[in-house]
Amino acid sequence: MAESLIKKYSDMLKNKEITCVELTEKFLTAIDSANKDLNAYVTVTPETAIETAKAVDKKIADGQTLSPLEGIPMTLKDNISTKGIDTTCCSKILEGYKPIYNATVWDVLSAQNAVLLGKTNMDEFAMGSSCETSYFGGAANPHNINHVAGGSSGGVASAVGGNIAVYGLGSDTGGSIRQPASFCGIVGLKPTYGAVSRYGLIAYASSLDQIGPITTTVEDSAIVFDAISSYDKMDSTCTGRVGAPVTDTLKNDIKGMKIGIPREYLEGIRDEVRVCIDKACEVYKSLGAEIVYFDLPALKYALPVYYILACAEASSNLGRYDGIRYGYRTSSYKDVNEMICKTRSEGFGGEVKRRILLGTYVLSAGYYDAYYKKAQNLRGSIVRAFDNAFKHCDVILAPTVPMTAFEKGSAISDPIETYLTDICTVPVNIAGLPGVSVPCGFGENGMPVGMQIIGNKFCESTVLNAAWQYENAVGSEVFKSSEYGIKL
Amino acid sequence: MVTHDDVMAIARLSKLYIAEDELDEMTKAMDDIIKFADTINNAADEGIEFDNINNLSNSFRTDEVVTSYDREEILKNANDIDEGHFLVRKRV
Repeated sequence: MAESLIKKYSDMLKNKEITCVELTEKFLTAIDSANKDLNAYVTVTPETAIETAKAVDKKIADGQTLSPLEGIPMTLKDNISTKGIDTTCCSKILEGYKPIYNATVWDVLSAQNAVLLGKTNMDEFAMGSSCETSYFGGAANPHNINHVAGGSSGGVASAVGGNIAVYGLGSDTGGSIRQPASFCGIVGLKPTYGAVSRYGLIAYASSLDQIGPITTTVEDSAIVFDAISSYDKMDSTCTGRVGAPVTDTLKNDIKGMKIGIPREYLEGIRDEVRVCIDKACEVYKSLGAEIVYFDLPALKYALPVYYILACAEASSNLGRYDGIRYGYRTSSYKDVNEMICKTRSEGFGGEVKRRILLGTYVLSAGYYDAYYKKAQNLRGSIVRAFDNAFKHCDVILAPTVPMTAFEKGSAISDPIETYLTDICTVPVNIAGLPGVSVPCGFGENGMPVGMQIIGNKFCESTVLNAAWQYENAVGSEVFKSSEYGIKL
Repeated sequence: MVTHDDVMAIARLSKLYIAEDELDEMTKAMDDIIKFADTINNAADEGIEFDNINNLSNSFRTDEVVTSYDREEILKNANDIDEGHFLVRKRV
């Protein structure tokens, strides 16, 4: 059984085995050493962390009760707004930008005295699958630093996998939580669209973006999800969690659960990944679940639909970066138009420019119907295909990524090749579903393999329950700790 | 087929400059991506317009007057300000 790290550290604090300041200092020291190799953090916040830790120690000394996440050292992806702390989206255009307000998720966690260690690396504006489009250079995989951590939340995954944060929050637009979690051998949950507030998340594609936890264990994922999944009047799409806290139903029996596997998810995946998925199916069968294979032909178009819609929304969302109100501004220009064009051309990296251009192209007169409108209608077909699938099964099981973490620099030159790594993750965003990636083995090169459990809308309980049962059954067989960071 | 002229026209709309030495690479990348995106035109369209994923409808609440951000706070991240305004000076 995978032990909850959050509970372990919380118990150590409550039992006075360690003070929160000592725990925080251990993590800060570990960051100092490991970050040279991992490049997981782009900003470290020792003052804020120690100040919070002192407040927690005072509560413990006063005999007050701690909430589940109180005093636990954690991190946030660098596109989640933190008042007075750099929030750059790992882009030159936002270098030095300090928000004047907090994202709701950070307001919620800081109210619980979560200890923020710093902000973590990501692909620029969350556009990428390897973390290599970051203005600050990519994050490394803690299991082999010559390999990528994945993306776009590569820094969070590298930090949690490298034991230099207990948990972190990432964002997932097309797989950006689940894919790096899979590459780094940890757990990444993309909640249902609308279950967690996105207020203060710097937008990439608003109809797809979702904040969620990256953790070492499924139980930790449930604890963090419960903490952040409440209604927020600041996000008009946020209804919050539906039903009881997920932690209440995490350990329910799954005998008789129907697990569907769409055959399309298994096409084109590497053999080493297929072997792990097949083994996971055997584990589920031994737990009394039924495996049902079926066809979901609508998935065939998910990837082009995703890139058309995400880029269209990005071209609109990134229109705000003009160098006037905040962010980078070019040094010489003759008029406002030239200032804006030069600012954007110098401030955005190559991948961001490509996606803005593609988005503008598919929204422009003459192409709108053929691309954007057609993709929107196909999105509806994919949503209905999943709705129909969940009439016949409780959850869907699929690989998270068709391969294991690739070597640094090996994919960035070919955009289509890089986009294909998202093929198994984007359908969940298109349909607004919850999906969790959990480790399920190792590839031939020893790098972790992840699988996704996907549920119907607002069924995080079912998804995490199925994931916990698997994790509990296989124990440490599919998990190995990296050589980096804290091990108490 | 995406051409240099297409890329330059789209760049103008996007308020981006594409340098001469970036144009070939950007045009090829755009062409590859558009060809990939074109595969959706092989899909049968069910003819149903998509609205939103969670069947969301407008949720109205009472309009409340709350304290907004201080002007000084909002101007903190600006490159250039003058008497409480964002400023764009001529700089050649």
